[in-house]
Amino acid sequence: MAISYLRRAYSSFAAHVFDIPPRLMAVLFFLILLLLPTCGLSSYYMWILIYANIIAIFALSWDLLVGRTGLISLGHALFFGIGGYSTALLFRHYGLPLWITIPVAVLLGALAGMIIGFPCLRVKGPYLALVTMAFPLIVSNIIKWSPLNPVFKGEIGIRASPFFPFLPIRQQRIAEYYLTLLLLFISAVIIYKIANSKTGIVFISILDDEVAAKACGINVTKYKIMSFIISSMFASLAGSIQAHFLKNANPSMFSLTLSFVPIIVTFLGGIGSIYGAIVGTYIYYILDKYVLIYLLPVLLRNFNLALPRGFEHAKLIIFTSIVLIFIIRWPRGIARYVTDKLQDLEEARDLDERGPRIWKRYKKKEKS
Amino acid sequence: MIEEIIIFGGIASGVYALLALGFTLIYGISGIVNLAHGSFYMLGAYLFSFITALSLLEPETMSNSILALVLAVILVAIIGSAIFRLAIHPIIGDEVAVMVVTVSLAIIFQQLILIIFGVSFLPVMWPKGSILTTSFRIFGVTVDYSRVLAFVASMILFIALSIFIKWTKIGKAMRAVSQDREAAMLMGINTERLYMLTMAISAMLAATAGILITTSTTRHAGVYMWLHPLALSFAIVILGGLGSIKGSLIGAFIIGYAEQTVAITVPEGGAIIGVVPLTVMVLVLLLRPKGLFGKRIEMEE
Amino acid sequence: MHLLEVDNLTKRFGGLTAVNNVSFHVDEGEIVGIIGPNGAGKTTLFNLISGFIKPDSGIVKFKGEDITGLSPHKIVNKGIARTFQVVRPFRHLPVIANVMVALKSPRGTKNIEWLKTMERKAADILEDVGLSEVMLEPAENVSHGDLKRLEIAKALATEPDLLLLDEPFGGLNPLEVNYLTKSIIRMHLDEPTRGILIVEHKLHALMKIVKRVIVLHQGEKIAEGTPEEIAKNQKVIEVYMGKAI
Repeated sequence: MAISYLRRAYSSFAAHVFDIPPRLMAVLFFLILLLLPTCGLSSYYMWILIYANIIAIFALSWDLLVGRTGLISLGHALFFGIGGYSTALLFRHYGLPLWITIPVAVLLGALAGMIIGFPCLRVKGPYLALVTMAFPLIVSNIIKWSPLNPVFKGEIGIRASPFFPFLPIRQQRIAEYYLTLLLLFISAVIIYKIANSKTGIVFISILDDEVAAKACGINVTKYKIMSFIISSMFASLAGSIQAHFLKNANPSMFSLTLSFVPIIVTFLGGIGSIYGAIVGTYIYYILDKYVLIYLLPVLLRNFNLALPRGFEHAKLIIFTSIVLIFIIRWPRGIARYVTDKLQDLEEARDLDERGPRIWKRYKKKEKS
Repeated sequence: MIEEIIIFGGIASGVYALLALGFTLIYGISGIVNLAHGSFYMLGAYLFSFITALSLLEPETMSNSILALVLAVILVAIIGSAIFRLAIHPIIGDEVAVMVVTVSLAIIFQQLILIIFGVSFLPVMWPKGSILTTSFRIFGVTVDYSRVLAFVASMILFIALSIFIKWTKIGKAMRAVSQDREAAMLMGINTERLYMLTMAISAMLAATAGILITTSTTRHAGVYMWLHPLALSFAIVILGGLGSIKGSLIGAFIIGYAEQTVAITVPEGGAIIGVVPLTVMVLVLLLRPKGLFGKRIEMEE
Repeated sequence: MHLLEVDNLTKRFGGLTAVNNVSFHVDEGEIVGIIGPNGAGKTTLFNLISGFIKPDSGIVKFKGEDITGLSPHKIVNKGIARTFQVVRPFRHLPVIANVMVALKSPRGTKNIEWLKTMERKAADILEDVGLSEVMLEPAENVSHGDLKRLEIAKALATEPDLLLLDEPFGGLNPLEVNYLTKSIIRMHLDEPTRGILIVEHKLHALMKIVKRVIVLHQGEKIAEGTPEEIAKNQKVIEVYMGKAI
């Protein structure tokens, strides 16, 4: 099943075969992220960055499933919420520390991925989108149902233990930042390795042409479940981390808006490429929480204007409209559009050398 | 209690049928899965309330309300057509893209309403003192006349539309396009205009259902009210079979009654009725994707 | 025991009977052709054999084993590989990765020689079909003729005992037809026990390679024999030329 508006950037694969720049870029990017706290940012900015790290993991998990394997999920928040609630419930009922509850939450997420995945395989395209969209709605309805309040505590949610309660606030943020960054890095590396492994190649083949993949002897069902499980595990991880970061697990973890975030984020950063999800998340949150909240009002104040009252709500409109306009005009996302243009320029330049150069590269790789 | 289920279930089902009809029309004829269908429902209710409130210059009268209803429905139809032209038509080949676009629009509408009207609920009701706010008793159940109106009006519209599709030239064109788009185009049917018309009709049905249901049940409008009708729409249509008018009717009654049963028998059932259409939809998709009367689902090759 | 045995295979789509009671067999080492006018049911027959469609009645036996109705990937792993009439490459993957997908299947992986990497084996297969030049190009950038060869490379990657080629000569110019004819013959010589079943329209190209021809018309088998016999068969001529003379 081909999703015409979702395009995977095969440059990640190219990086595997050619062994150059994207990896270097990624290293540089992480280096920058590593050094950010030293800039003396306030707790508020640290908070935004930590939140971005968490959502980046979530977006990565979605990207593997949707951008690489081609299984539409409009309800990925389901696994996020399962992760969050699992860890909070385990803490509440058994008092387990978070370094136990988080891995358990991840495993439960994997289990959920398997359970939800199997039936989801039997439905295609738009139907899959509807089914995936329905699940978190069903779960959040049940969680908010008052007779179950003793268990789930309704809208308020369940409390979860913080990561570093023994540290003062400012140091807590820094510690949390590095912790989430580390987890993001590990997740990114794992997902990157999977996506560029031979299994990852099979995932892409399913994205491109499921029927042809079957004709190659691939058990498509097995690989789809695999993708589901890996994806749900990382989504649960993100959810469980957030529960401890915000010290609370509540129904908003299952919200449609949250399920929509990976779509926005991959449109900003480029879908199907691993780094795209991360970059996109950062762009989104910097825009959302910094540019639009601080820079814009400052700018407007120069003209004696102020933000309209409902601006909080308008931000979501802005981002959703971007997604809208992009699907209609540029189906591959902003980052891809830019890199495509750059690639066109580069190709136009060395058109003559291209043929023999590829052969040369292969020969070089063959020797190593 | 049983009587309540039977009566209220039937009434709700009637209006749900109208809502679902709109959804199945646009899908059956143009293949568009319109996730903003619930938003049209919501806009209908909000616009009705807004316009009624505007006409406070004159005392609230029935004719004002009817005017408000008509205006609201027409406005929603215009919005629907505009959405089709600008946002859907360019990507009409790709079902999934359409879904992402329409759900984006749904979110945008939600936020717009949030900005304009805020989180507090807006009253949506017929004028005080009109007959519609009174009720009568039957079989031991108290029924508002507004509900009766909702049911009767929905059924009349449903039948009217079925006749329209079956007997008029445009209706036949719609059926032709739903069966074989290319053949229809070769026969000179302007599919683009037809789609836009279908979209307008679909939006009108949703808006009407929105006004009818809200004025007779909750009597208020809130920013998240588009989720439940959306869930209902696709649950009913998937149960009944995409593209089947008969299916929408029967599916509506099945789900309407299921909901009512849950609402009345289960403790705090009202809060959880949202689960009913969603669960039905998931079950149908997993067990028998083409629903009761649906067209063939695409084959492997 | 025949390599492939098809007995009374029937498939209906609504009111249309696409394949009607078709029976034939292919033996080890045979190259058999299937011809017939458009709509004769040739591709449906392939789909039935390779498991993409389930028949309404009839049996498909491969090496004596009943494989009717098995899922496509299982059939591939038993040793039947097919190509598609309209090429189905994995557009976003480089050509070499396309072949690697087939090598990742259980049968493909099993057949990789001890000391070879999957990439090496894929490169070798591509060299055999003459695609070394474009090995690292994304499949979407590659010419149609090359994509046709890629289809065959993917099919060969699983080292099938029976190869189903669906209109392999479609859209090829005379030079490419020549090259492909030679390739198929070479494939046959390399693996003498492998059976090849070819559906094709370009009769002159086909008749040069096959030992036996089956003619389908409106879902039914109307003739079977050597290329010479079929060329002289009255019914076949009528079906292709139309009855009016």
